[in-house]
Order: sequence, then structure tokens, then C-alpha cells
Amino acid sequence: MIDAADLTLLSTGFRAAMEEPGDADRLDAALVELGWRELLADSPDEAVALVFPLLGATGAHAPLLNDVLLHALGRPPGGVVALAENGLAFGRPCVPAGGLDPALGLCRVEWRPLGEEAVAAGRRALGFQLVGAGRAMLELAREHALTRTQFGRRLASFQAVRHRLAETLVTLEAAEAALAHATDPTTSTLGKALAGRAGLAAARNCQQVLAGIGFTAEHRFQSFARRVLVLDDLLGSAKALAEDVGGSLLATRRAPRLIEL
Amino acid sequence: MRVEEFRTGLRAWLDEHDLSPVHDKSLDGDMAQLSRVRRALFDAGWMRWGWPEHAGGLGGPTILRAVLGEEVATRGLAEPGIYSLIEVLAPTLIRYGSPELLAFVPLLLSGEETWCQGFSEPGAGSDLASLTTRAVRDGAEWVIDGQKVWTSLAQYAQRCLLLARTSGPGHRGISAFLVDMDSPGVLVRPIETMHGVDEFAEVFFDGVRVPADRMIGAVGQGWEIAMSILPDERSSCFWHRVAHLYTRLDRLLAAAPAGSERALGEAFLDLHAIRSTSLRTQHRRARGEPLGAETSIDKILIASAEQRLFDTARDLLPGVVEYEESPWREEYLYSRAATIYGGTAEIQRNIVAKRLLSLGDE
Repeated sequence: MIDAADLTLLSTGFRAAMEEPGDADRLDAALVELGWRELLADSPDEAVALVFPLLGATGAHAPLLNDVLLHALGRPPGGVVALAENGLAFGRPCVPAGGLDPALGLCRVEWRPLGEEAVAAGRRALGFQLVGAGRAMLELAREHALTRTQFGRRLASFQAVRHRLAETLVTLEAAEAALAHATDPTTSTLGKALAGRAGLAAARNCQQVLAGIGFTAEHRFQSFARRVLVLDDLLGSAKALAEDVGGSLLATRRAPRLIEL
Repeated sequence: MRVEEFRTGLRAWLDEHDLSPVHDKSLDGDMAQLSRVRRALFDAGWMRWGWPEHAGGLGGPTILRAVLGEEVATRGLAEPGIYSLIEVLAPTLIRYGSPELLAFVPLLLSGEETWCQGFSEPGAGSDLASLTTRAVRDGAEWVIDGQKVWTSLAQYAQRCLLLARTSGPGHRGISAFLVDMDSPGVLVRPIETMHGVDEFAEVFFDGVRVPADRMIGAVGQGWEIAMSILPDERSSCFWHRVAHLYTRLDRLLAAAPAGSERALGEAFLDLHAIRSTSLRTQHRRARGEPLGAETSIDKILIASAEQRLFDTARDLLPGVVEYEESPWREEYLYSRAATIYGGTAEIQRNIVAKRLLSLGDE
């Protein structure tokens, strides 16, 4: 287990690497240098809770989800793992491809069933990334609301705007709290579903607050909005997971409490 | 006493001592049941854990009160709303009351007495600080004139934790009192509500004389006292209510038709969300961290979870609210109030915007 001081140090290093210009392969290599693989091997829960919110918040991409799945599968890091039966995977090397978010370098590889534990690990990681991206969008919209003036008033002074941003924070906090207790397949599924909800709510609300400028290609908002749509879909969208969870509830006819005081 | 030890002991005790409701489902019946449950839990010690020893408790971490409330709600031993009222009344007295006032706390914990909270007024709902009920000093007494509304259980209460204005306008002019409800000049009129349970009342104060030693805290400290209630309300009380809502989801699951997976899943996700943030709040409180604006997040989540749950019940059990005589109607209707009481959904979002997002003033 790693201590808090070391985590802070690593966090600073990881963030700096993610904020440097460059492509996914450079970042992938830089994170290996900074000790990502050792951290994942020693403290997988802390590693994921540290790195994936940063990926989300910075908007950077490196195909680290492969490592998380490989670790859960008991295989060495550095490879590529299909996320679904259609073979969709984060390419390594990362070759920008088509799709809504080309920077993710999604490709197709051979599918091998993942197993419950690996899916849970992947969902937890994607959940953290969604929350990070949601927080980044919220910060962009917040800054905009505090600086832009219309009708002689700051946007942030209008209650309709304030309530949208407040609602966004509420959904993000709910997701983050659930992910903090995501310790098994069921709680990880719920964490990912709440994070998907939060990411989509952040995109919807922040897009509205950012209005025209947020719709331009030059504003950073749109890259986060694209990303959360893809992240929500991978390993089960909020809606698909809600349906799965509802199916289990209906099968047992009892709602599990899952987390205890 | 540790949480695990407490829970295990409590469950074993409750398995042996059947406290299931024996009264009818009227409000009188619920109140009789509540007193019975509280008395039994107090005598056996369970109700005293988590409360300080100088107030008649047995000490131990506050979180034990949440564990007890969850067990009471999960087993359906008492209506959770009225059960949780002590969480907003007793801590206030313990924190601010003189030793003489502290002596009243065991009467509340043991179910011997019911108390009510005289805060809202016809002209002061969301804007509580504009309240106009006056308290004027007259020798060794205060004389109170004014009107309160939405006072839960006033018709059953022996005492009222009352906010009244002792000087000029605004927050600083407000003081808090513990008023005997049998004082001359107190008139209680229950309010008929849309869900059919008349647990709220209007309370009129007409020249009610209150001894000066019944002031809680100092002159002008009323607002601080009122605000200090929120963390109590939003930790233990919310945990109790969430536990209750899980039992209603269980009830819905027992009757839900095939094809309702998605709706049930969404309702469950809402409950898991508030349970997760509420757990975080309990732990913050247990570590002694001050609770503030972030509890508005819990308030928003619990209100929307409750409404979604009962909306889902109405969707999945067509006609159950409209035509059938079942608890779903009353509970569906009551859930409409979840975004109103304890600070409206709009006030909560104002707080989140200002305090947590630092968006400045409107």
C-alpha cells in the first residue's frame, strides 16, 4: 500500500505529463517512466482512483484502461484488450481513427471474454474518468458564467444558470461518492452508471451555459463532450447498466443495501 | 461501543423483543407505537447510545444513532419521519442548553414526551430569518406573541423549540426558547394535508409567558442555533429515511411486472447515490469535521430519490395511487413534499451555487 504523500507526488508528476503536448503514445511511455505500472501492481485501487480522474480532467488520452483490465485478468501490462464482443479496444500504439472522438484511437481486436472482476475494474476506471471530465466541463462553464456579461450582469448572477451548474455538481458528487465505495462488481457497476449519468448531465448543462462559444471547435468544451459520450458507452452506458441492475433486482425481488455504516 | 458490536447486539435484541406495530395506522396509532418503541429501546439502553452522558445518554459515537434508526426503519417499527424528529431537537438543547434544560432531554429520548419545532411562519417559509413572532422581556419572563405553521406533531407535543424575535430585524434579532405547550395562550390547530395525515399544525401564541431560564443559548443566538440543526438533520435523519426508502423499493420489487427493469434500476441508482453521499457525510461527522453547505447535496439527492421512487411505483403499478386503498397513495402524495420541507430544492441549489461553486451573489 502506498502512502498519501507518495500519491500526491505521483499525482503531480502524472498531471504534468498529461498536460504536456503530445500524442497518446508519448503519454503512455511517459507514464510508464513515472511508475504507473508499479503503482498499478502494488496498489491497483489507489492507482485507478488517482490516474483516471486526471485523464478525465486533463482530456489527455493514453490507453491505460488496457493495463487495468490486464491486471485484473492476471496478465502483464502493455497489451491491448477488447472491451466488447465487437472487439472494440484502445489501440496501442494509438492510431487516431474515425468515430466521435478520434483521439481515443479505438480499434478492433480479437474478443476474449473478460470475466466479472475485469469488467468491474474497467467500469470503476471509466467511472473515475467520466467524473474527471465532468468536473473539467463544470469548471469551464463556471469560469464562463463568472466572466461573461449580458444584460449588464454576469451570467453567474442568473438563477437559471446557477441551478444548472449546481445540479451538475450534485450528480458529480453522487458519482464520486459511489465510486469511492465501488469494491465489487455490483458497486462498480453502480458507480459507472452514476458516473455516466453525471458525465452526460455535465455535458448537457455546461453546453447550455457555455452556449455559442461552447459549440465552436476552438473551445475545449467540445472535446470533453465528445469524450464523455464514448466513455459512457464503453463497458455499459448509464442506461444499459440501469437496465441490467434492474434485471437483477427483479430476479431477487430485493434491493441490496451494499454499503454499511 | 463500536458500530459492528452495537449493530450485532441490537439486531439480536430486536429479534428477541418483538416491537412490531400493534396499533392501527392512524397518526394516533403511529404516535403510540413510537412512544412504545422509544420506551423499550431507552430502557434497554439502545436509544441512549450515541448521546452524551450529561444528557442522559451512554456516550459513544454519534453514528450509533444512525445505526439504530436504520434498524428501526428497516424493520418498520416506527414511522421514520416522526421517529427522526429527536435528531433535530435533542442535539440543539445539548449543544446550547443550560444544565437545567439538559435535564429535559431524557424525557424526549425515552418517549415520555413529544416535542415540536416552532420555526416556519405564514410569512417566513424559505426566508426563515424574516420571522415575526415576538418575545418581549417582562421581568423574569418573556412574553410571546405570534404564529407558527407547519409545526410537526404540535398537537401531541409537551414542549416546543421556538424561534422568536427578541430585537430588530434579520438573523441577529432571533432567539430560541423551550416553551411548555400547556402554557396559557398556546393554541394548536392541526392542518389538513393533501396526503391525509394531519401531522402538521398551526400554533398560535397569544401573550404566552415563558420563564427567562427557558431561553436556549443567549439572546440573539437563535439563528446560529437553528442553523446548527442542519448537520444533525442531514446525517442521522437522512440515513434513517434512506433506509425507509429501501424498504419501499423492496415493496415495489415484490409487485413489479416484467419489463420494468430499466425503471427499477434508475430508482435503485438514485437510492445508491444518496446512500453513498450520506455515508460520506456520516464519516465526516464522525471525524469531527464541521458539516456545512455540502449537506445540501445530500438534501437534493434524497428528495429527488424519494420522488423518483414513488413516481416509479405509480408508473409500474397502474391505478395503485388513483383507485386502490393502499399505502402507496399516501406515500406517493407525501413524497411530493420532499422537495419542499427542510429547505426547498431551489434553496438547496442556491446554497450549492453560492457556497460550493463560489458563483457570487445573484
